[in-house]
Amino acid sequence: MNFALLAEYGPALGQGLLNTIFLSVVTLAIATPIGAAIALIRETRIPWIAIPAAIYVNIFRLLPALLVLFFSFYALPQFGLRLSPMTAAILGLSIVGAAYMSEDIRGGLAAVDQGQYRAAKALGLSYPHIIRRIIIPQAIPLIIPPYVTRAIIMVKATSLASLVAVGDLTGEAVRATSITYEPFMFLIMAGALYLLLSGALALFQMWAEERMARARRPRTSLTVKAAQV
Amino acid sequence: MTLDFSILGTVWPALLRGTLVTVELTAAVLAVATPGGILVALLRGAPSRTLRTVLATLSWICRGVPPLLLLFFVFFGLPVIGIKLPPLPSAVIAMSLYMSFYFGEVFRAGLNSVPAGQWKAAEALGLSPARTLIRIILPQTIPAALPPYISHATEILKGTALAAAVSVPELTSAAKQVFVVTFRPFEILIAAAAIYAILDSLLLVLQIYGERWAARRSAAR
Repeated sequence: MNFALLAEYGPALGQGLLNTIFLSVVTLAIATPIGAAIALIRETRIPWIAIPAAIYVNIFRLLPALLVLFFSFYALPQFGLRLSPMTAAILGLSIVGAAYMSEDIRGGLAAVDQGQYRAAKALGLSYPHIIRRIIIPQAIPLIIPPYVTRAIIMVKATSLASLVAVGDLTGEAVRATSITYEPFMFLIMAGALYLLLSGALALFQMWAEERMARARRPRTSLTVKAAQV
Repeated sequence: MTLDFSILGTVWPALLRGTLVTVELTAAVLAVATPGGILVALLRGAPSRTLRTVLATLSWICRGVPPLLLLFFVFFGLPVIGIKLPPLPSAVIAMSLYMSFYFGEVFRAGLNSVPAGQWKAAEALGLSPARTLIRIILPQTIPAALPPYISHATEILKGTALAAAVSVPELTSAAKQVFVVTFRPFEILIAAAAIYAILDSLLLVLQIYGERWAARRSAAR
């Protein structure tokens, strides 16, 4: 470990880490509501909105994320829309992320027993009411594990931003590597920091699942008692 | 700005060459990572506790770090340990490294779907472990492992775009090379996107047939 080099490039790496965290937080904050909206739209099964949503999802799941980033960075200026590297990266990563995320959320929504729809409908609840009060609360515990897995994939995918001139963690580590010819140090540090970020998300998943389990426990014990009676 | 797709008439040879490299890269990674994944799956069931821990840690690292970073790691790291390779083989090595661990998970689930009694029965019949694995166990894992295997193959295909970062002339970098000189990024990227969509669709067709075949097989059993 070369501490002089570390002192020299440490700040750049730190800035890269901040950029990676910023990119991750912003893309997740954009992709999550869009993904949820698409999942709900597709669940309505109303053709004129569900079909375009399905087309959007399937187009972006077919393409390499890097290609989409190239679209937002290199091709949009052709239409007079010149974005900064960071904005272009956020746009591209959010569009792709939302497509994948909608599939994870849809899986959770579909896993809720279909009888719940029919029962709520028989009770005279309106469709938005059924979705909001009956389906979503039951779907959230099912959605959390695939959601966090997807979030980790999206955090890793922010490294692509380095290929459209964003100084993220990967970009800074590669720059330091190619200037100093120190092949392993910076890349290993960057790798450890990415593992830390995905570790933090995994901890969030454990916390959320624990919380869900606690929120559910009283109700289950009541049902068990009711069954015994 | 008006779109002018006639540019594709000029640049198609470059895109075609890029497509061939993308297919070649995908095939090479599949050819290396498939046996790699089987090896990982077998070793993770090995009796040695140390070996299992080491593999689990490696798997966690390779799947937790961005693939692009691993690519750079191999690209910059191999020459240091005295291995000088052109960009394409280094990309194959890097991608096979992390895909082996993804495939390892797939095949482990497949191996777990085969009852342990099969191993014992084959042993009782006097078959060697290698023969048991190849003739008895692996064929039975196919129905469970095939669908996730093909969806990972699609990930490999899309993942080959990363090789553009280490100057492998695959489809994405071929597209970039021609649009920076023609100033027609939109048209050229659309063409590249269409080619990726076609390649993906071929894999999806394979998946549909594979799933049908697997369903028939498990119905026959």
